[in-house]
Amino acid sequence: MIEAGVLRAEWTKFSSIRATMVLSLAIVVVSGLFGWLFGNASAGDYATATAQERLDFQPLDMGMRGLFVVQLLVSALGVLVATSEYGSGTMRASVAAVGRRGHLMAAKAGMTVLTALPVSVAGVWLMYTAGQTVLAANGAPYVMPGEPGALVLLLLGPVVFTLLALFGLALGFLLRGTASAVNVSTAFLLIPVLASSAPGGLREFMHTYWPNTAAFQAVSGTSELPPVVAFGVLLGFVAVLLVAAFVQFKNRDA
Amino acid sequence: MIQLNGLSKRYGERLAVDDLSFTVRPGLVTGFLGPNGAGKTTTMRMILGLDLPTSGTVTINGRGPHDLPHPLRVVGSMLDSQAVHPQRTAYKHLLYLAQTNRLPISRVEEVLDLVGLTDAAGRKAGGFSLGMSQRLGLAAALLGDPPVLLLDEPVNGLDPEGVLWIRTLVRELAAEGRTVLLSSHLMSEMALTADRLVIIGKGRLITEAEIGEFTGAGAPVLVRTPEAGSFARRLELSGARVRAGSGDELLVTGMSAPDVGRLAAAEGVTLHELTLRPASLEEAFMELTRDAVEYGGAR
Repeated sequence: MIEAGVLRAEWTKFSSIRATMVLSLAIVVVSGLFGWLFGNASAGDYATATAQERLDFQPLDMGMRGLFVVQLLVSALGVLVATSEYGSGTMRASVAAVGRRGHLMAAKAGMTVLTALPVSVAGVWLMYTAGQTVLAANGAPYVMPGEPGALVLLLLGPVVFTLLALFGLALGFLLRGTASAVNVSTAFLLIPVLASSAPGGLREFMHTYWPNTAAFQAVSGTSELPPVVAFGVLLGFVAVLLVAAFVQFKNRDA
Repeated sequence: MIQLNGLSKRYGERLAVDDLSFTVRPGLVTGFLGPNGAGKTTTMRMILGLDLPTSGTVTINGRGPHDLPHPLRVVGSMLDSQAVHPQRTAYKHLLYLAQTNRLPISRVEEVLDLVGLTDAAGRKAGGFSLGMSQRLGLAAALLGDPPVLLLDEPVNGLDPEGVLWIRTLVRELAAEGRTVLLSSHLMSEMALTADRLVIIGKGRLITEAEIGEFTGAGAPVLVRTPEAGSFARRLELSGARVRAGSGDELLVTGMSAPDVGRLAAAEGVTLHELTLRPASLEEAFMELTRDAVEYGGAR
């Protein structure tokens, strides 16, 4: 389905503009920074915590709190793969050159995965390393990468991020503008955080079923749902959005 | 060869293109003319498969625009030469287009050379002048060495040297046997570049013909003779229509210049001048599109 030439062209486009390259780098840097910041803050909390609080201390969750911010950047990366072409007007040239629109969209989805996945691996692993190292250095509990919880996070965290990049790509195709797509994506991904102040039932529902939190909870092992279901919520949601984006892209004037 | 069959495009209430059928033949430069808003660009977008027709079909060398595995090898186009990412270099812009159609990388340098942008290949397109953008757009159109070319207003904003360059290039491309469709609203430019004209107004076909037919047919013949009065009557007797010009001038219509000359010789009339006065393409165009101007000034 993905043609090598069209995919190579996507890489030429991705690597020849500033926004995509800077954002990729920023995702890794910001991840490391947040790992260090939240690690430090949590170590400080631990030092002054009561015995009961120390028992409840979750070093992995504490060190990875920055994921909620980094997810916004990863989604924006997917947005840019589509909207950098709409913004500059090259989408028409690309559509005319590739001809079959499905091939163009498939190549863009491929490029999103091929860039978001390594960037997410680097970001998640750096955040983990920075966070746990700082915790350990300050005498707080920490989690070794071999432990089951950490292993799941390190392996599946980047996969969740990559799905969020595809979510961004779909929004970019649907809304055809960087600003609008990034705004919608950011609002959507932060709704569960805002819902923390909602009434209990709604809050619980949002935390369990909202696509990004459902998957994050599955990854961190805190979900009430079986991991496959929680993961499936995000996967299904992204798939539906991609199909909607494809139907619109195929049937609308370029 | 490009064939349009009953092509229509509706935007809400407005019919931008209305049942348009014509054929663009290879080996010729076909000028695509119409007042602003006539539907030229929409038609070109539909030929390229960018806009989807409300009804009707388009074929390029016998295939639909969505049936081309490597479109750039069949149809090259320049619709909006400014549509280049400002941070991307000319080279990378052409490189990505070449990659989509699996064209050899060497082709990028060839077309850069052809349009005279070799020295600017590494510069970001955002800093290009309009003339350079047009050259880059043309390079993109020629990338796949396509048998069919679609150029929307290619001489817009070019200096006289650039206009001459494009005119020469386009004529050469047609002479090589390619199908060239060139849109413009500049009639004078078309008179110099095109072999055939397709004229549309308000989305409908007004006429299509060889360029000579627009300017030559029915053109008046100017005659100057000291015997204007008697010769005018003689011409009218032979079926021509005659208008008296200033002094000894007669404007003859309905008879060719050679026939006017033969008649004068047969009658022994002295002629001081015998010239064909073709209407300019501009005049012919204004006449044809008078009723189809979308946004006209008060007349």
